[in-house]
Parts: sequence; structure tokens; C-alpha cells
Amino acid sequence: MSWRSTAALAQRCLSLGLAALVLSLASVQTWASVIEFEHMQRLDSDAVLPPDPANTDGWIDTALPHAAPAAPEGQRPRVTWYRGNFDGPADAGSASTWAVYLPFFHEGGQVWVNGRFAGNVPEGTPELRVRWERPHLITLPPGLLQPRGNLLAVRTAAAPMHGVQHFPRVAVGPLVELLPRADRRTFWVRTMPQVTVVVCLLVAGFVLFIYWRRRSEVLYGLFGLAAALWGVRTLTFVIERMPVDSWQMWRITYLAATGGFIVVLALFALRFAGIRWPVIEKGLIAYWLAGPIWLGLAGEGYEGLINPLWSAGLIPIGLAILGLSVWSMLRQRTLAAAVMPVTLVIAVLAGVHDYLVAWNTGLLARWAPHWASQRIFLLHYGADLMLLGMGGLLTVRFIEALSSLQTANRKLADLNETLEQRVAERERHLAANFERMADMQRDRAATQERQLIMREIHDGLGSRLFTSLLRVERGDMNDRQIADTLRDCIADMRLALEALAPDDDFQAALGNFLFRWQTQMQEARIQPAWTIDVPDSALNLSRQAALQLLRIMQEALTNVLKHARAKNVRIELRQRGGMLELEVVDDGMGADLSNDKTGRGIGNMHARAKQLGGELDVRSGVGGTRVLLRLPMSNAATAVGRAGA
Amino acid sequence: MTTRVLIVEDEPEFMRRFSNAVLNDPTLSLVAAVSTGQAGLAMLDLQAPDVLLVDLGLPDIEGVKVIAHAAQHHPSCDVLVVTMFADDEHVVASIEAGACGYLLKDASAERITASIHELRAGGAPISPGIARRVLERFRTKASAGFALGPTPQPEPEPSPLTPRETELLRMVAKGFTFETIGHLLDISPHTVVAHVKKIYRKLAVHSRSEAVYEANQLGLL
Repeated sequence: MSWRSTAALAQRCLSLGLAALVLSLASVQTWASVIEFEHMQRLDSDAVLPPDPANTDGWIDTALPHAAPAAPEGQRPRVTWYRGNFDGPADAGSASTWAVYLPFFHEGGQVWVNGRFAGNVPEGTPELRVRWERPHLITLPPGLLQPRGNLLAVRTAAAPMHGVQHFPRVAVGPLVELLPRADRRTFWVRTMPQVTVVVCLLVAGFVLFIYWRRRSEVLYGLFGLAAALWGVRTLTFVIERMPVDSWQMWRITYLAATGGFIVVLALFALRFAGIRWPVIEKGLIAYWLAGPIWLGLAGEGYEGLINPLWSAGLIPIGLAILGLSVWSMLRQRTLAAAVMPVTLVIAVLAGVHDYLVAWNTGLLARWAPHWASQRIFLLHYGADLMLLGMGGLLTVRFIEALSSLQTANRKLADLNETLEQRVAERERHLAANFERMADMQRDRAATQERQLIMREIHDGLGSRLFTSLLRVERGDMNDRQIADTLRDCIADMRLALEALAPDDDFQAALGNFLFRWQTQMQEARIQPAWTIDVPDSALNLSRQAALQLLRIMQEALTNVLKHARAKNVRIELRQRGGMLELEVVDDGMGADLSNDKTGRGIGNMHARAKQLGGELDVRSGVGGTRVLLRLPMSNAATAVGRAGA
Repeated sequence: MTTRVLIVEDEPEFMRRFSNAVLNDPTLSLVAAVSTGQAGLAMLDLQAPDVLLVDLGLPDIEGVKVIAHAAQHHPSCDVLVVTMFADDEHVVASIEAGACGYLLKDASAERITASIHELRAGGAPISPGIARRVLERFRTKASAGFALGPTPQPEPEPSPLTPRETELLRMVAKGFTFETIGHLLDISPHTVVAHVKKIYRKLAVHSRSEAVYEANQLGLL
């Protein structure tokens, strides 16, 4: 069930309940045997005993309920006697017990029947002030009543200063018939207020705690305050006896609570409608405070003046709240927005009603005399209803907030999931891209290496084999020369295989190179001295660079082997700053650089050095030959297809 | 007592070259020179030579098979594998099969006989590339023990190489000459090559035990 329909149902139940209350209070059940006095005779007299029934002097016939106006200035309110005749039970001897029922008897007093004391309701004393809200049922002793012409006399205590003395429609009848009436009224005017006080204060505590923890929830604060004020205000129906010393303070408290409730309600309605009018809010609070402060300053005697005036001022505030919430309802057009105005209408009507009951009974009595006679105050039921409505609204808001939080959480979770999915997807995408790029790079490297090998075969081995073939066919080469050439070709190939071996790097190729040439030199009776003074990292050459470098080295060593007739050869590979240096120095007889073959070999070396971005220096003299190759490390390493990578 | 040599080589030119080298050395005797693997196997069993010179690229069966046969049935026979470029992968495969050294096809006659004598004297040739590969073999095999299969493995076999052998291989791999290595390790060059031969044997045994292990795993044995 959605909250809206829940709210609607709750509202309907409340409306029905209120209607039932009004009906039950208003229902006039007439029993044949219950006598309800619509008129009695009244006499202002503080006689302790009922005045002589025969004496009619000074008695005034009075319609009930009667509101005796406050005593004129300077006079004390007086004790009043009421009396009336009624017929008793037809069978005086019957066992049915009779009672006198006083729906209200604010000041207390005594009940006499047929000149005998029947019972009393405690009156106020100079120290204790009483105001009885509960109904009273005075059971009559058996045998007191006669079938006809019984005389009921009620002495009502004096009203408080400036107070109006109210006297109800007294009823006399069998106890069993009056008891339900009394019980019903007790429940509504006594039990309900007690329950209201407890519930209001509990709810206020709970809601104000929420506000205390979450200051931004001003609505909760206002609602809690309203509930608290209403709880305090309702105490007036609960506390029936009050020490006189506390009376004034209590009245001020009561006034403050009542006015405060209305004002807080107005603030709530404003906030709830989303309106922030600081000036109006301050004005409302000021009006609220004005009443109690005025009363506090003016003193007890002025309540009769201040209370009606100031309370009347609350009515337009209430009407404004009503208008505001109706406007809000029309604007929002939701069931939730209707809760406030509906309960408010009821409450305001109840408020107006109570005002009339309290201060202008005559007006009300003209339309609903019986109801007016009951003197039932309705405002606190209306207010209870309103508090329920406000609580319901806040509960709905609370649940909505929870739900939206949950939804938000779920959305967040969904979002997270989506995000994760996207990230994963993107990662997959990136990985795929990376894979593709790596593939392309591999392809490119493979292509480059293939080109390298092709060039090697084409330009190196191939051209040498072709040249040799031509020379052999021409008869230009002897066996030894042919063997030499073929050996060179094999050496070239070996070098290429080593330098381009897929699993090996330059270091491995260099190791193999040294190993091979060590043997070769030693067999030629030349003592080689190797110095490799390069950090391993610097030996991270590209395949092409490795191949070219080893070729240059091989060419240089081949020259030493073939032509130099050296005894020693020193081979040094070293790093000088950013340059890689290769030096091959022999102690032979020096090479004839102008010799065709030698010249071609050296030309090749120069070309290779140039390809690497380096430079070659060959010097030859009587003391031997020195070949120095210098090439930038970066050039040697950056070429694609780096060995071992 | 002469060293009896069997040659298995399918190319006539090289067969002649190797045969001549052996025949010209009085301390060596040529048992047979055959051009197929099958003939090689037959001659092995028939003659039980001291040294086997075998080419890898035979027309009928792989040279490695001949080597493995020799290592298995004639452990006293030293096997030299003949290779064109000393391309390391083939040589290492041969060593794993049981070869103790390699001979380049273009080696001079002196080199051929010298290699045979060195081998008989307990030494074995090794190049930097082969040293690197041997090192790798031992390393990967030792570490493969960790990674292998769900079946409970015995203790991951530590490298069977001694620290000195490992050190020596490292030096060879860096291109140091045997003289330099001997000098650095304070041993004679002869001892260096003796170490190499031992290492080769270990690699062969190692690879065979691996094979046995693998076969066990496959349920073949």
C-alpha cells in the first residue's frame, strides 16, 4: 500500500472518529426516568444550609446552563444556591439507586435533596484553587426520595475573581442510567486529555531529539515544539487542583502554550509550504510572547481582559494558516498537501467553537442550545488530529527520504557497476589496442630484420660470391684465393647468423665473436688482447648496429690476420661519454691503404660506420695500424629490432 | 692403443675430409665412415667405437637419435657432433642427447684430430653461446620444478651444477678465453675443459632424468 493511500485512510479514520466523538457527545438520549433541569431557581446567598424552601424571596428563575457574569469591580464573587423540584421514582421503595449528575461543576459545592445533605464536591480554599473538569455523580441515599415534589438544592462555591461562574444542566435519575453519561464524559474530558499530555510529551521528546541531531530538519523541530506546547496546554484539563501561589504562573504558562501552539503551527505551515518570510515569522513569535508577558506584567486581575483579546488575535493567525495550507494544497495538488488544511479546518472550527463556548455561550446556544449546554471544549481534539496529521506528514517525508536514499544508493551501486563495466571494457579495449600495436611493432621489426637479412645476402654474401664466380671463370683466382674468399663468405655468414640470432643479444654475439677470433688469431700466431670496458647496459645494441659493429671489427681483424704480419693485436671496446669506441691496434708493418683490396675493405668499414651515425679513423704506419670507430650510444641502441628486447 | 673413430656423415666431401684427418693421425683408427643414421647405429653396436663423429642432418634419421643411442648403449663412447655454424640450439640439443662436444665443418684437419684428442683426454669445447644456453637449460629446468603440475612434486631439484661450474659457464658466456678463466679460477686450461665435459654429462643426465620423469608422468614407464 502506498503511503498516499495510507495517509488517506488514516485521515478518513480520523474524520470518522471525530464525527463519532461529536455525535456521542451531542447525542441526547432521553430516558423517561432521568430528569434534566433546563431551568432552576437561583439565589445569591452564602448560606451554609439550604434556604428555607417556603421562602421565595430573591430566587430568580434561570435557564440552564447559566453563566453568572463576573462580580462587579470591588465585590467578591458570591456563593450561589440553585434549586428545583422533581418527581422521584414511582415506587419509592424500589431498590434502584438514584443520583444527581453534574456534567461540570468547576468550583465545587454541595448537593442537598429534600433538605438533607446528599454529597459535596470539594471547594477551593484560600490556599488551594480548584477547577473540576470531571463530571460528578452524587449518589442519593436510599429512602430520601419521594414519588413527588422532591427538592434539589445545589450550593456552588464562589467563582474566582473576575471569573464567570458556570452552572450546568443538572440531571437526576437512576444511577444506572446516569453512570454511562458520566463515564462517557469522564473519558472525553478527563482520560483523553491525560492520554494527550503523555503522548504529546513523548512524541515531542522523540521528535525534538531528531531535530537536535539534525538541525537542518526545522520542520521536525517545529513539530516537536508544537507537540510539547500542546502537551503543556492540555495539562489544564488534567490539573484540577492548584495551589493559589502557582495559579498566576500556571495561567501564564497556559496562555503561552496555547498561543505558542498556534504560532508554531503557523511557522510549520509556512515552512511546509516552502515559504520563508523572516519578518512575518518574527512578528508571529512576538505576538506569541506578547500575551503571556502582558499577563505576567498586568497581574492576575487582568486575565479576563487580556485572555479574550489576545486569544481573539490568534484566530486570524489560525485562519491565515488555514488559507496558507489550502493555497499550498491547491498548488501541490497532492493528498499529503491536503492533510494540513483539512485538519486545520477542523481545528480552527474547534477553536472558534471553544472561544464561543468560553466567552460567548449565548451565540452558540442560539443555534445548538443542547450542545452549548454541555460546555465541551473541542479544540484539543482538533489539535490532536492536527498533530497526528503533522506527524503523519513528517513520517511520510521521513519514509520518502529513506526511500529516495535507498534509491539513490541503488542508483549509485548501479552507477558503480556501470562504471566498473565501462572501465573493464575500456581496459579490454586498451589491452586489445596494445596487443594490436605490439603486433604491428613486431611485424615491423620482423620486416626490418627480414630486410636486413635480405640486404646482407644481397649486398654482402651475394655480391662477393658473384664477383668470385666471375674471377674464377676468368681464371683469375688460384685455389688458395678461392678458398680464402669462401672462408670469408662463411665467416660473414657466421657473423650474420650470430648477430641476427633471434634469441641472442649483442653480448652473446660478441662473446661468440671473441671466442672464434681468439682461436683464429692463436692459430695464426698472433696474440690478441681483449678489453671490453663497457657496462652491460651499454651493450644493448640494435641488431643492425650489432651486426655493423661486428662487421667492422671482423674487417679490421681480418686485415690484421692477412696483411699486417703482426705479433700482437689489442682490441678494445669502451665507452667514452655518450660514445661507444672500438679500437683495434696491431704492431704489424702497417697496411698499404692505397692497395685496391685493402682500400675497398676500409671503404666498406667507413660506409658501415656512417650507417651507424659514427665515424671511423684508420691510421697506418711503420709501427702498425690503428682502427678507431666512434659512434653515439643513442644511435646504436635506438634502432628498431633491438637485440634481446 | 689407438682411438677407434666412427664417422656418420652423409656429405661425401666432408666424410672424406674427416676420414683423411683421422687416417692421417697414427694414434687414431677409423672404424667406419657411413652416410646414413641406420648404418651408423649398426656400426655403433657392431664396433663399439671410442669416438663417434656424427652430423645432425642425416638423410634417414636424425643425428640426435644416433647420439642418444650411443650415449645409452655405449656410455664409454665420446660423441662429437658435426655442425656447420655451431648454431647453438642444435649443439645444445646434441649435448642433451649425450654429445660431449662439437666440431665445425670447416675445421682444419689439425683442429679435427686435436678435438678428438682433447675429448679423449677429458676435455670438451664450448662457445659462449653454448655456455649461455647450457646455463639457461639448467636454470629453466630447476625453476620449472616449482611450476609444474598439480601432482605433489618432490623437492624442486636444485641445479646440479656446482657453484664453480656455474661461475665457469658464466665466464665462458661472457667471451672469456679458457686461459683467462683458468687464470681467474686459478686452475689450468685443461681443468677448464674437463669441467666443461662434466657439465655436458650433467646436462645429458639431467635431460634424461627429465625425460624419465616426463615419461613417468605420461605413464610410459
